[in-house]
Amino acid sequence: MKELILVFIAASITNNFVLTYFLGICPFIGVSGKIDSSIGLGIATTFVMTMAATVTWLIYYYILVPFNLVFLQYVTFIIVIASFVQFVEMVIRKVSPPLYKALGIFLPLITTNCAILGLTLFMVLRNYSFLEAVVFGLGAGVGFTLALVIMAGIREDLVFAEVPEPLQGAGITLIIAGMLAMAFMGFGGIISG
Amino acid sequence: MADNVFKKAWGNDIFRIIVSLAIVGSASGMALVFVYNYASPKISINIKHETEKAIRNIFPGTEKVGKTSEKGVYKAESGKGELLGYAFVAEGNGYQGIIRLIAGVDPAITEMKGMEVLESSETPGLGAEIANPPFRNQFSGLKLDHAIEYVKNQKPQEDYQIEAITGATISSRAVVNILNKRIDEVRKLIKAKQ
Amino acid sequence: MIKDFAKGLWKENPVFVQVLGMCPTLAVTTKALFGLSMGLATTFVVVSSGLVISSIRRFVPDQVRIPMFTVIIATFVTAADYFLKANFFQISKALGPYVPLIVVNCLILGRAEAFASKHGVARSGLDALGMGVGFTCALVVLGACREILGAGTVFGARIMGEGFTNWIIMVLPAGAFITLGLLVGGFNIIDKKVSKKKG
Repeated sequence: MKELILVFIAASITNNFVLTYFLGICPFIGVSGKIDSSIGLGIATTFVMTMAATVTWLIYYYILVPFNLVFLQYVTFIIVIASFVQFVEMVIRKVSPPLYKALGIFLPLITTNCAILGLTLFMVLRNYSFLEAVVFGLGAGVGFTLALVIMAGIREDLVFAEVPEPLQGAGITLIIAGMLAMAFMGFGGIISG
Repeated sequence: MADNVFKKAWGNDIFRIIVSLAIVGSASGMALVFVYNYASPKISINIKHETEKAIRNIFPGTEKVGKTSEKGVYKAESGKGELLGYAFVAEGNGYQGIIRLIAGVDPAITEMKGMEVLESSETPGLGAEIANPPFRNQFSGLKLDHAIEYVKNQKPQEDYQIEAITGATISSRAVVNILNKRIDEVRKLIKAKQ
Repeated sequence: MIKDFAKGLWKENPVFVQVLGMCPTLAVTTKALFGLSMGLATTFVVVSSGLVISSIRRFVPDQVRIPMFTVIIATFVTAADYFLKANFFQISKALGPYVPLIVVNCLILGRAEAFASKHGVARSGLDALGMGVGFTCALVVLGACREILGAGTVFGARIMGEGFTNWIIMVLPAGAFITLGLLVGGFNIIDKKVSKKKG
């Protein structure tokens, strides 16, 4: 149990995907203008991440490894993620139209979110067990949402700030991300206990 | 005739999708088999070279690196065939990910001869210092009649202690734990054989 | 034709202008050499997938366009990854999982979708090459800045005096974000001056 909690905290805070591994930066910079839409995208991504970790773990350890097909890893993973996102989109549309309306536009964006593929690659590199992989997916999603929402909050206020002209847009967003990354470094001590 | 049937079928969306996906998929598979066959022998040679280089660094004068019956445990031998010691690969979790290292002990497993980090994803400038000489060299000559320990912000007092890197205690502790665990295992393996 | 190539270098530079492909840009540029290797690997993938996609573009059913492109890209990425592991073992170890992550570099799928799937082989190749070179240059610049301040060296050669204290922040994630943010700002200043002169 302790191991699982550690994996969760590491994935969501101390080794935050966005702020320490630079995964999922595209939506981080592109979408995070408003808090509402950030929460929507965050929840959709968390869901896909958890499921993607589960599915790719099973495929990797029960199909690719036993049949010696590890060199197909990247191709398989990306196909799994892409088809999974489509599947989720279809199911949500059938089951809950209101939820689809809220999340729908974000779903296609998720396929090209490097955080998802990154998650599955890290999972294999670190030899996570099945349970650890699932928790890792969940934690990474929560961490992604957290970073996205904080960023959106700052950017909503940034409208009132006088940013030097050349830095407007991407420039200032990156610099703020840098400061957030420094702030998150401060959490590094939690695990050492 | 066959041509016509194909043309007609090509008009059908589903058919087109299936055929084109199948072609792209199998082309990709074949290309990768080819790449894999070209690269995998070279990759295993690279890994072997890396291991042997690390062992030579730990045991200067090593002429031959021999395998033992146990995977990941090697014998370092001098030119005259004299056993210099055992080297073994050990891995475990660090601060950010897996740390994989190789360590060497004398034939009687009473003293450490050294260690080298093969792979780590620790923070550059802090945890990643475990791979650099100031930290690494502390391990050569450690006595193994006691589990290895680390001390913080002071010079080691005992001959089984090392000083942890300031600001990277977790990485330092991870190395110590990985080593202690693996040394015990290797000791049992080698005792069992003798 | 020349324009297809040249726009990727400056006017539509993938990193400084389009802000695409951020994760490798930020993650691997702790050293100029790693930036260069990542840039070349990405260039290889964007060019070869661009060539293949533009030559088969007439046979690709519209509905499965994206999955097919992705499979093609993933194939080339795997090839690049194995090539690096076989011939440049140390570099491949340093780049780690960021080589396979080229698959989801938005730059590559973006070029496939926006250019290669609509234009001929020659133009697509040039366009991809321009983007690749522009991407590589940006990575090398970023890597060099971080290496000079973070380790006092460039491509491993010492340029800062012995008394120089390394700014460790530069090799940490925070330094990556801030350096890139400032570089984007600097790029905008130069760009504005240049276009004013022309205008």
